[in-house]
Amino acid sequence: MNFPILHIPVVGDGMTIALNAVLHVYISHGLAIGLMTMLVIFQTLTWKGKGAFWADIARRLLGPLVVITTSVGAVTGVGIWILTGSLAPEGIGALIHLFFWPWFIEWFAFTAEVILLLCYYYQWDRLITRKPGTLAAIGWGYVGASFISAVLITGILGFMLTPQGWPWARSFTEAYFNPTFVPQCFLRVSGGMALGILLLMSWIAWRFKGTAEERGRALRVCGTALLLSLVVTAAATYVYFMRVPQTYLTHWKFSVATSYLSQMPDFLPAVNAVAALVLLLTALAAMARSRLACRLLCFPALIMSLCFVMEFERVREFIRGPYLMPGYMHASQITLVESEALAAQNAPLLPRLRWVNTSGNLSPATQAARTLFAANCGVCHAESGINGIDQRLAGRSADGINAMLGITQRLAPYMTPFVGSEQERAMLTEYLFQLSSNYSRRAQQAAREK
Amino acid sequence: MQQWTDLFLNKPLPEGWMQGLLFITFGLHLLFVLLMLGTAILSLLFFLRDLLRQPSPDQHWNEHVAHSHMGLKSLAVVLGVGPLLLMQISHPHAFFTVTGLFSYAWLAIIPLLITAFLLFDGFAHKIGTSAWLALICGLVGVAALMTVPAIFTGALTLMERPAEWADFAASGFRFDAQWMPHWVLRYLHVMGAAVAFGAAFHLFFSARNEKQKAPLLRKWLLGALMAQAVIGLALLATILPQLSVPVLSFISLGALALGAAVWILRPESSTADYRLLALLPLIFVSMLLARQLMQNEALAPGQAEATAQREQRVRELAPFSQKALDAFAVKLRTVYDNGDTIYDGACEPCHGLTGRGDGPEASRLRIPATDLTTMRTDRDYVYEMVRDGTPGTGMPYFRMFDREKLESLLDAMGKRFGMYAATPPPPRDISPVSLEVWIGTCAKCHAANGSGSPSGRAMQPPPPDFRRSSLTHEQALKIITEGYPGTGMPGYRNQPQTVREDLAIICNSFRAAHNKSEK
Repeated sequence: MNFPILHIPVVGDGMTIALNAVLHVYISHGLAIGLMTMLVIFQTLTWKGKGAFWADIARRLLGPLVVITTSVGAVTGVGIWILTGSLAPEGIGALIHLFFWPWFIEWFAFTAEVILLLCYYYQWDRLITRKPGTLAAIGWGYVGASFISAVLITGILGFMLTPQGWPWARSFTEAYFNPTFVPQCFLRVSGGMALGILLLMSWIAWRFKGTAEERGRALRVCGTALLLSLVVTAAATYVYFMRVPQTYLTHWKFSVATSYLSQMPDFLPAVNAVAALVLLLTALAAMARSRLACRLLCFPALIMSLCFVMEFERVREFIRGPYLMPGYMHASQITLVESEALAAQNAPLLPRLRWVNTSGNLSPATQAARTLFAANCGVCHAESGINGIDQRLAGRSADGINAMLGITQRLAPYMTPFVGSEQERAMLTEYLFQLSSNYSRRAQQAAREK
Repeated sequence: MQQWTDLFLNKPLPEGWMQGLLFITFGLHLLFVLLMLGTAILSLLFFLRDLLRQPSPDQHWNEHVAHSHMGLKSLAVVLGVGPLLLMQISHPHAFFTVTGLFSYAWLAIIPLLITAFLLFDGFAHKIGTSAWLALICGLVGVAALMTVPAIFTGALTLMERPAEWADFAASGFRFDAQWMPHWVLRYLHVMGAAVAFGAAFHLFFSARNEKQKAPLLRKWLLGALMAQAVIGLALLATILPQLSVPVLSFISLGALALGAAVWILRPESSTADYRLLALLPLIFVSMLLARQLMQNEALAPGQAEATAQREQRVRELAPFSQKALDAFAVKLRTVYDNGDTIYDGACEPCHGLTGRGDGPEASRLRIPATDLTTMRTDRDYVYEMVRDGTPGTGMPYFRMFDREKLESLLDAMGKRFGMYAATPPPPRDISPVSLEVWIGTCAKCHAANGSGSPSGRAMQPPPPDFRRSSLTHEQALKIITEGYPGTGMPGYRNQPQTVREDLAIICNSFRAAHNKSEK
């Protein structure tokens, strides 16, 4: 552990990264890929003489799309770098050293994407009547760049869930072209299309000012495209998850439904089925050109689509559990080999940490325990708050906590192992017992006050 | 293929290439950052100036200036990814250390930029229609935007001073003579450059068809360049020890180009002079080269030391590499989707493979793990215990497994230990003396009906509910005689053997009766 360890209190690292990531994914896939592709299609339809209203729709939505994509989408994209660099420097650093070239090429694709988007936006008024074909060419160039950028990022992200041969051979190709690569490419693009089409369809149903016949045509195109996107997304999701090792996948319900709701075995499949049905009905309503049905269905459909994005991201992040890089590094940013070496020698972890936060006037023992907690557990658990360890351990005896620390990986296979000496384990135990006792006391007091 | 024990040692590019690419990509990023910042600052200033004039002039040209911000900021952001990537490859030690030390300030860049961009887009949109809304959006947006370079320059200032890292880590931001003056001046230098490049950009871009705007932009460009000269000199004073001959050469070249640009811009002339398009990039490139040379000199020793340490650690860890991989392979094959695997993984450490409470971790427990082979319990009661754990003991909750997994675990436990077998009915009647002991002593915690009294249920751990859970007669007798270590259950050796036998029968009679009544 060569770098300062930062963990976000109360909210936790996971939630912080998730909030940024979900926002980014929704915009980068839904708007930058899905909606923008549809706008280019619409503008192309006008160019091909199918009616001026197609381009009018595209023009109305292009401005807000560019503002949101370049402001929120791009910044949250860079935000992922900033967040991971601060919260998981060993992890992101290792990933960059392994995947430098895809990321570097991705940067070119991404830059091309932005330049083409800006050209499309700034040149619209000049070209739409004089040279619509040139404008469409710029638009399709953008669509191509956005697809390339989605494909490039897929290998890197898919790798984290597909150990396959990488840990043993450590070759770039085994990491990048992993079995989930192809289905995830389809999933990202088609999922992005579905999100974008939904947004477009909602706008047409509520805000389009053209004739009823024009609205009907636009809705039908959206409905057909949405249905196609949903079918491809569903198929790609199925294939993708079939290729994720069962070791990970088996925990998907708990990852989404949390501990209480996961005790209702049919809850999550039922909710997913209802959500999928709502999306399907929305597509069919649009295909049937029903403005009223589209108006009624679009809001629940938009919420469901956002929930699907959140669910997918949550599952993907959670189920790889103890590993940041399978076979190489734990989520705690301690490599597997270092964990093994320290355990074999009963060697302490603290001397291996280059940075220890000594602000706060704590006793040496508390200081050490807090540092051990941050290094071992802090990536998933806050001391108190979301997934707070104080609540998780409330009511457990000190000896029980000590025993649990030694078997975290066996207790819940998505937990990282405790790394440290026997003495450090005792120090951490004492601190965790104190935290959980304080939580229990507060809970009892709150119950009495009620 | 090399087996990377530490991927940080994997260099995807030769050092020279990396430095070259870093220079180009950072240069591009910085150029658009300066253009974006300069555009935002100047557009807001023009707007404020016009707002104070009566009557307020038409904002059409300024709208055009503000509108260009969106393209500039988009490119500035996207071009920032490249140098970020390369910095993390070429100087990972300094970069990750300092961003870690800057932590919250570094993370604040995300909300600051989003706020700044959205508000400035709002400003550009409302500039001609709603002055007050534009004013609020512009002021807050530009303030947020101007905060970001302060964070970046602060991080870079600290990054180039490894000797200061420990102090900074201990006491955070503070006014000291070491790096604070340099930071402030560096920030002002960036701001000055932003105004200069922003003014130059709009002189050649926005004022193309608005010739009457050119003098105004030339004034700003001239003022900014002169301010740069003053700030630059002061900044130079803060880095005197780090000045090498190559660095000084580039700075001198930049200063000469700056002097020439000022000469061209002197007040008598009034048009956009295209010689500036050669001089300004020359200033930019020479200053950037000086900066990168100084940065490399400052960071190279620390990076070399960190690399040497990593190499040393790789050598130390090498013997454990295969063992770690073998353990990983086993873990990858172990799927926690069935009761047997879950029991062997999660329960065995304490309860033991045979369920007798003799697992490898059991010796750590003050309250012994339950001997599962002696339990005769309702399945739903076991489910609740497994789901919620037992407060006051080491038994954790297992809600982290979904219901299907827990049901599968219960199946496995039932099959292995016969836990859900019926409790046999009492073999004989209980003596009145034993009943008195039960009512007078045991019921205080267990309640007369075995369900646990209010005071008993308040204990940690609470006594079991005998209506749903029982033990083999031998185990019950053993606990009554010796007590249950670490809990509120004391031993009753002082009671006659017959009474203790009766008490064991009483404990087990509740579940037998309960099950019978349910049938």
